[in-house]
Amino acid sequence: MNANREDIEELIYDSCMALDQSDYDAYMDLCSPDFSYKLSAYSPEVKQEMTWLDHNRDEIEHLFHTLPKHNSDRNPLTRNAVVYRVKVDENHKRADVVSSFQIFKTALNGGHSELFAVGKYFDTVSLEGGKPALVNRHVKLDTRDLGWGYHVPF
Amino acid sequence: MSRNESQWTQRPTLPMSHYADPAIYYDENIFAEEQEKIFSKVWQLAIHESEIPQPYDYRTYQHPAGREVVIVRGEDKRIRTFYNICPHRGNLLVYEPSGNAKKLVCIFHQWAFNGKGECVDIPRDKNGYQDRVCKNDVGLKEVRTEVGYGGFVWINVDDNCDSLSSHIGGALDYMLPELEAEPLQTLWYYQARLKTNFKLIHDTNSEFYHDYLHYHNRVTGMLDPKSGYFQRKYTAFPNGHASVGSMEVKYDAYKGGGHSELGWPELPPQGWKLVDLFPCITFNLRTSVLRIDSYIPLGPKDVLLEFRALGLKSDTAETRAQREKDAATIWSPFGRNLHEDLLASSGQGVAMTAHSDPMYVLQAREEDLTIHDEIGMRHYLQEWSKRMGRSSADPYAKSAQAKMA
Ligand code: FES
Ligand SMILES: [Fe+2]
Repeated sequence: MNANREDIEELIYDSCMALDQSDYDAYMDLCSPDFSYKLSAYSPEVKQEMTWLDHNRDEIEHLFHTLPKHNSDRNPLTRNAVVYRVKVDENHKRADVVSSFQIFKTALNGGHSELFAVGKYFDTVSLEGGKPALVNRHVKLDTRDLGWGYHVPF
Repeated sequence: MSRNESQWTQRPTLPMSHYADPAIYYDENIFAEEQEKIFSKVWQLAIHESEIPQPYDYRTYQHPAGREVVIVRGEDKRIRTFYNICPHRGNLLVYEPSGNAKKLVCIFHQWAFNGKGECVDIPRDKNGYQDRVCKNDVGLKEVRTEVGYGGFVWINVDDNCDSLSSHIGGALDYMLPELEAEPLQTLWYYQARLKTNFKLIHDTNSEFYHDYLHYHNRVTGMLDPKSGYFQRKYTAFPNGHASVGSMEVKYDAYKGGGHSELGWPELPPQGWKLVDLFPCITFNLRTSVLRIDSYIPLGPKDVLLEFRALGLKSDTAETRAQREKDAATIWSPFGRNLHEDLLASSGQGVAMTAHSDPMYVLQAREEDLTIHDEIGMRHYLQEWSKRMGRSSADPYAKSAQAKMA
């Protein structure tokens, strides 16, 4: 396919909407068969990069499937991403995409929203098929205090 | 049968060791007393030595007795702790959580201190102070510091406290082979600030009856008769500490888990050892990772949790990645179990307040000291009562027994 920035941006935004709606099938549809997902944060206190999620496609699907078996914070999240940079490699039919995000949590009880986390998505997007697909997503969190935590990946 | 008010607030017909007055989880005055009688007296785990590997490295720490401190590795490699306050006019000496500095120099008027806490420079000292104030008299306040039990840095703000080993006693003995097999390395450090009482969170590490909360622990342990789950036993140690015997965790029963065969030196394969130290430290060793919890209470309903995951200093990049993956499944802010634990103890914080009319809290299960026995919490509160000079079941001395005593 021809690299089209608009299509690539739409992929990033669709991935946010799918997770916001807990539509994990829709999310996986946006990912290539060799999809991998990693979430990390850097600790300035101990000067270490901390990897808090590191999954291949199978593992992340398992994670989604076991979610209903767990006790979790069910207050929904809203992922608000902005695509900062799209770098297309025409030869390899790939694009590197950097997006900044803020994630808000809205209380089921009362509807108050508050900022939950900020960070960036570093995505590798395949441009080989009819539509762009996520090959690799690396979520780099700036926020490290996530309170009692959350079971659904960002 | 539901209960009316007098039934609801009635003392349970159990020994006072088997229930707690909910006020110990929310009362401001009790908390102030805990700061004075407990946190100003006990050894606290502050950091791990791998976080300040080089001479002149430093880390700050917010001590639960209220003191800000800075932990420094001196030129002589020795680790010392000082109040993080400039003796000149009380400015914070070090602002960043970690760094490396040959001298700690206060930004305000540039007084400087070395790794021994000695004042080594006062700009224009003779011009202003003549001989009335000299460097020798204005050193930093040093805090008792010991390194041990796997390279952790422990501090005690009481100059006259007993040694660290007399506080720990034999509580960590059963984990010592694993802790001291090889030098350790901090892989993760992160905080979580929650609106609940620190004791409620320590409780989730001190009782396993709540494995009903954890799908992961049910399928990898409780539901497997061969795992030895129900044979795990508590051992209570002096000073309020307790350990939990090992078992064989069936990690494969949890689909999609990141558990590997990596393991930990000296730990039996699939083993799990856990030690709770009074008043709010937990050593938790399972899969291929050592997790350390240390809590910093800031108020009766306000606590800063510090979580660490440690591997070995000798780890290659690949080994380290595997350890992190093993840890992430159950721990980390996205882990299966930690989120569930923190949801439950935060829920207790919401439900039990000064105005919510809470009932007495039960710690009454007795099962021959095995895994669902609540001896861990009872033993903890016994030490708490001793140090506080009042029963955790009756902190306002309202009961007939207390009045007679
Ligand atoms: S307050 Fe530190 S030098 Fe003056
Ligand atoms: Fe738990």
